[in-house]
Amino acid sequence: MNHYRRFICKATVGIFFIFLFSSHNYLFAQDGQATFKTYCASCHKPDVDFTGPALKGARQRQAAAGLPQDWVYKWVHNTTSMVNTDPYAMQLFAKFNTPMTAFPDLKKEEIDAVLDWADKYEKPAAVIHPPGEKTGEDNSLLYGVLTLILAVIALILLQVNSNLKKLSDEKQGIRTPNPVPFYRNKAYLLLGIIVLFLIGGYYTIEAAIGLGRNKGYQPVQPIFYSHKVHAGTNQISCLYCHGGAQDSKHANIPSVNVCMNCHMAIKEYSGDPITRDDGSSVNGTAEIQKLYEYSGWNPSKKSYDRPGKQIEWIRIHNLPDYVYFNHSQHVKVGQQQCQTCHGNIQEMPEVAQFADLSMGWCINCHRETKVQFNDDKGHGNKFYSIYEKFHDDIKNKKYDSVTVEQIGGTECQKCHY
Amino acid sequence: MRMEYKIFYFKSPFRSWVILMFLATTIFTSCGSKREPGRVYMPDMAYSRAYEAYAPNNLKKEGINYLNYPVTGTIRRGDLFAYTLPNDSNGYKMAAEVKNPLPPLDSNQLLEAQRLFNINCAICHGPNMDAQGPLATSGKIGGIANLKLDLYIKKPEGQMFHVVTYGKNNMGSYASQLDRKQRWMVVYYIKSEQAKASANKSTTPAATDSSTAKK
Repeated sequence: MNHYRRFICKATVGIFFIFLFSSHNYLFAQDGQATFKTYCASCHKPDVDFTGPALKGARQRQAAAGLPQDWVYKWVHNTTSMVNTDPYAMQLFAKFNTPMTAFPDLKKEEIDAVLDWADKYEKPAAVIHPPGEKTGEDNSLLYGVLTLILAVIALILLQVNSNLKKLSDEKQGIRTPNPVPFYRNKAYLLLGIIVLFLIGGYYTIEAAIGLGRNKGYQPVQPIFYSHKVHAGTNQISCLYCHGGAQDSKHANIPSVNVCMNCHMAIKEYSGDPITRDDGSSVNGTAEIQKLYEYSGWNPSKKSYDRPGKQIEWIRIHNLPDYVYFNHSQHVKVGQQQCQTCHGNIQEMPEVAQFADLSMGWCINCHRETKVQFNDDKGHGNKFYSIYEKFHDDIKNKKYDSVTVEQIGGTECQKCHY
Repeated sequence: MRMEYKIFYFKSPFRSWVILMFLATTIFTSCGSKREPGRVYMPDMAYSRAYEAYAPNNLKKEGINYLNYPVTGTIRRGDLFAYTLPNDSNGYKMAAEVKNPLPPLDSNQLLEAQRLFNINCAICHGPNMDAQGPLATSGKIGGIANLKLDLYIKKPEGQMFHVVTYGKNNMGSYASQLDRKQRWMVVYYIKSEQAKASANKSTTPAATDSSTAKK
């Protein structure tokens, strides 16, 4: 009996331990991806070299270099000193040129879990987009031909009709005046003149209104910079580059160092194909190379080894000198979105002028836009706090809201002085 | 019957009309190539006599000695003192001793600091500071610091300011986008968020994930 009891006791303890360890292992195996994401993902990718080497097969490469199995633990725990002493580490540093951050807190099991996960990693199969459905055929040509045929038929019928009438008149002995060729027919002439007057007048007035306005102006810029890629796909805030819009009269053009903040690391374009409006495609990587030309950056050496040149961007939005416009007044105080005046800039591969920037357009917006008086939250807009009467009236429910016009936004001197 | 076909003849007066109309329309519509700016008529006071921002200038020719940068050794009125530690490993080490010169931020200033962080930093470091910004998750930029790691929670604020000022590894200098005060505000915001994060960690028992059991 005693014998049995001891056996059962041992077995239970054994099973308990097996459970304990197995659950532990299971946990780490699952955590490999999580640990990778927290600690490693910013520099490593499982399957390809990134800022650091690919983690897949890292242990095999290490073994091939004749290093003991625990080398990788030492390396992760103590990169800073090993990068100067250990030959394999020095070799890695020479290749990738970025010292790895040490993670002394990572346990061996966690490192193993990450490497196990990376070894098993398979690149998720690329999603193949089904070829886009053919857009409906353009029917306008068909309609045009039909209209033309019908018009010709109508004309022939009219002609036939008048000829028949003439014949019947002749038979009945009614004398008709000699037919007048249509270009001397006064009715035709008058009609023609009126049509010409309307068409000519329409275009003349359109052209005259358009003098000094540049709606739709889309110059060719020295670098094909796509706002769609930067502000749309990559969700970079407008103010990241055009920070001046909140502080000054001008929404500044970013200096080249702002471009290089990201493009030190982003050397090639790998997103969706970029196309111009006329359908020709743009090589994004070549455009980034142009940026390196201008900035003097050498991507392989990771340093500026040439003098930089100015990028002469072509200004699109221009107001005449007799109008004062201040970005910060609109962006910071008025809290207007950039898109209000510049259109859906995050969807424009190539920027075109969205609004006509005419005075009517300005005034219209000033008449309709409600001023953000509401500073109840405590961090609201203090700019309008001096308009005490309006604030009181709003409190007394006299008004619902105040427009820009009501606080003088359509006075001549606000913009012309 | 002899008139029957006459309607299809275009005699010369009509032809000249057609040509005239065609010309008129083409002249007026051909003004607008979108690659060229529109036309102006009598642009009185439309172009600035003074040099405008970014406009080409002849200042040197005119003998005007204009500096694009502040004179070295001067600071703008109301600005913080210049940050003088050099951009090298020695400067980085010394930066550990530098303290934030700003008094603690109130809630409004903290909101402003958060706004600045979200505009300038969150694109890589992520709005939650966990290195999950759009450029990080799409794998475009590598080596982005996960500011919620112990390593960065322990990093002295002076060194953070140093890094924001000069850049480090893949990160560029943000001195041109954020002035000294704004940079310190952002550092203050990061530190306050990190303090919250580590407080959360120490309150929740970290039984399963040993990586967060520290502190």
